[in-house]
Amino acid sequence: MKKIISLTFLFSALCAFAQKADTTKTKVKVYGSFERNGQWYTNDKNRGIHQDTVPLRANNYFNVNFNYKKFTIGTQVESYMNEALLNFNPKYKGTNFATYYANYKTKKLDITLGHYYVQFGSGLALRTWEDRSLGINNALRGAKVVYSPIDEISFTALYGKARSGFDVANGDIFGFNTDVNVSQLLNVEAFDFKYGFSGVSRYEKLPVAVQNFSAFTNLFSNRFELAYKNYYVNTEYVFKSRDAIIKQNVLDTNFAKEGSALLVNFGYSKKGIGFDANLRRVENMQLLAQRNLDNYPTLSSTSLNYNDKILNFVPSLTKQHHSNLANIYVYQAQFQVVMDESIQVNKFGEIGGEFDFFYDFKKGSALGGKYGTKINLNVSSWYNLKAKFRYTNNAGENIQNYQAELFNANEKYFSDYNIEITKKVSKNFKTAFTYINQYYNNKQIQGIFKEFDINSHIVFSESTYQLSDSKSITFGLEHMWADNDRKNWAAATVEYNHNEHWSIFAMDMYNYGFDHKTLTISETDLFDIHFYNFGTAYKNGSTRVALNYGRQRGGLVCAGGVCRFVPPSTGLGLQITTSF
Amino acid sequence: MKKLALTLMLFISALGLSQNKLPSITLKNLEGTTVSTTQNFIEKDKIYVYCFWATWCAPCIQELDAINDVYEDWKSQANVEVIAVSIDDARTNKRVKPLVNGKGWEYTILMDTNQDFKRALGISNPPFTAVVKNGEIVFTQNGHTPGSENQLLEQIKALK
Repeated sequence: MKKIISLTFLFSALCAFAQKADTTKTKVKVYGSFERNGQWYTNDKNRGIHQDTVPLRANNYFNVNFNYKKFTIGTQVESYMNEALLNFNPKYKGTNFATYYANYKTKKLDITLGHYYVQFGSGLALRTWEDRSLGINNALRGAKVVYSPIDEISFTALYGKARSGFDVANGDIFGFNTDVNVSQLLNVEAFDFKYGFSGVSRYEKLPVAVQNFSAFTNLFSNRFELAYKNYYVNTEYVFKSRDAIIKQNVLDTNFAKEGSALLVNFGYSKKGIGFDANLRRVENMQLLAQRNLDNYPTLSSTSLNYNDKILNFVPSLTKQHHSNLANIYVYQAQFQVVMDESIQVNKFGEIGGEFDFFYDFKKGSALGGKYGTKINLNVSSWYNLKAKFRYTNNAGENIQNYQAELFNANEKYFSDYNIEITKKVSKNFKTAFTYINQYYNNKQIQGIFKEFDINSHIVFSESTYQLSDSKSITFGLEHMWADNDRKNWAAATVEYNHNEHWSIFAMDMYNYGFDHKTLTISETDLFDIHFYNFGTAYKNGSTRVALNYGRQRGGLVCAGGVCRFVPPSTGLGLQITTSF
Repeated sequence: MKKLALTLMLFISALGLSQNKLPSITLKNLEGTTVSTTQNFIEKDKIYVYCFWATWCAPCIQELDAINDVYEDWKSQANVEVIAVSIDDARTNKRVKPLVNGKGWEYTILMDTNQDFKRALGISNPPFTAVVKNGEIVFTQNGHTPGSENQLLEQIKALK
């Protein structure tokens, strides 16, 4: 603790110095941020929840950077007191320096020593980033050099080990990337053409007995972007070299396969209209900064459940809805290989697409009315890859294998068809209506044996009424029919903005109408109950303080292609964010 | 108690400072051309309004829709440019272009795909607005309140 206090004083002193320096025009810039997400977990008799053994928990992030001309140094201190919030990576423990770096940057050269964030292409081959709400921070610790001799070309070379908790993962990561703006380089104005290439290599020593794949796992990404008038096509192909697959949380060195990803995006858009298509095929694309997982038997989870040690980014290409009920059956991209004879789930990746159509009915037209009407149609559908597979080899040993077909789909994982209409009815009244149909294949996605697939229908309407210049009130009403699962859900939200500083909100989600005899509802996931939440927020400049009290749903939470049960909770939350 | 003291100290030291210079960040615009926050957008005395948003953030879209309705009016009253910085990552960033066009927005769009710009400004969640004049951050606004675009215009006009 003493360490931290002296650390804080050091910071304050540095800050004070920097401020002073600033006033004397030596141009030392200081900037950073502070964020605290705290929770007081309480008893909840109706839900049979006993207060957690560590009821007061908070995740704190303090980030500070000092810039002098071309040099910048910075650090992020993280503090998990008394422990990290429930369902966060157990490796986030105590208080410590989480990341630190020194950077030198000119127009052509950008050199970083220490922790850094980086993304090659769309992130299929390499992405390091921070997402505090999901507990993701896989910053690489090492060195990165970006060199752009001319505007049209840039090169990146890097080495590092990925952050995991307050430590780093075992694998040594090497990366190279180049992006070339070909049409600009050749002074072509008729169309736009860009090319990019990346190579990523992970080295992790293998036991001598392992001979069927290399200690180096290599990924290569080739991509281009082409735009002509209002049309565009972007594509990326990533190849991953042969590497062992994780089988039921344990690395199976006898089961090693290659992986690949192909992403094709094209569209047309001009003022008032937009069309976009995203097609993707992914096979065996799990990439971790270390081959073996950390196992937490007492929590019945592994590091994978906390998005720990991930090295690439294979997002689910579906619309991210802001309706509460549309976020109950959330799809996770199925990029990993799972072959499990006991539950008859065999998946090798995914294939499918997402389509978007945006249209603006102009002001004054029949459908546009006085203030215009906007619509968005969004459709996505994702399937398992069709493959030949076997659980044993010719000698009868327990060595699995598979061969996936190129463009053949098997069972459907998920689909989402939705339409959203936004309309400004009068000067003071705006409204939006959304209809969503989701199909969710429980057995294939969650890997838990359930007979049924979910086919849900959701209607959602949200309206904002402007009472005066700064006062406004927003109402949201939702209903979901999920007949094969927990039947009906109703939800309502109301938010009142008093002025630019103060706002209050209240919401409730209620599940009803299911039959206890035919459906077994998990003890940890009671549903004949109101999930209420209410709170207030104060904001001023870059600072925001929010307080809320309510119930968090328990149940299955899926992240990074894996799912696990999380305990339900009730409690008081406090969030503080500020930047300087 | 010590923990509380620590938190308080951190918080106070954070509040005691205020950033003024816009950090130098290189990112791409909607056409994929590389631009820099300190080499582009540097017209003298022009007011640049950086609005951080995402395709999945309803209040952000509400804010940008609202500003778009009065954008012509803004431009006639002040030398102002709105730069909408999308923090969509690879999951949703392909939806940015059709959405911007479909909504008929007139803004300069920047793609902060791995959120370097967002991180440099210490933003936790969008919407977040930073008003910049001559490379200095004049004021910031965390979150959006319906109707706050009118106050924003007043504040911009006061900067002239």
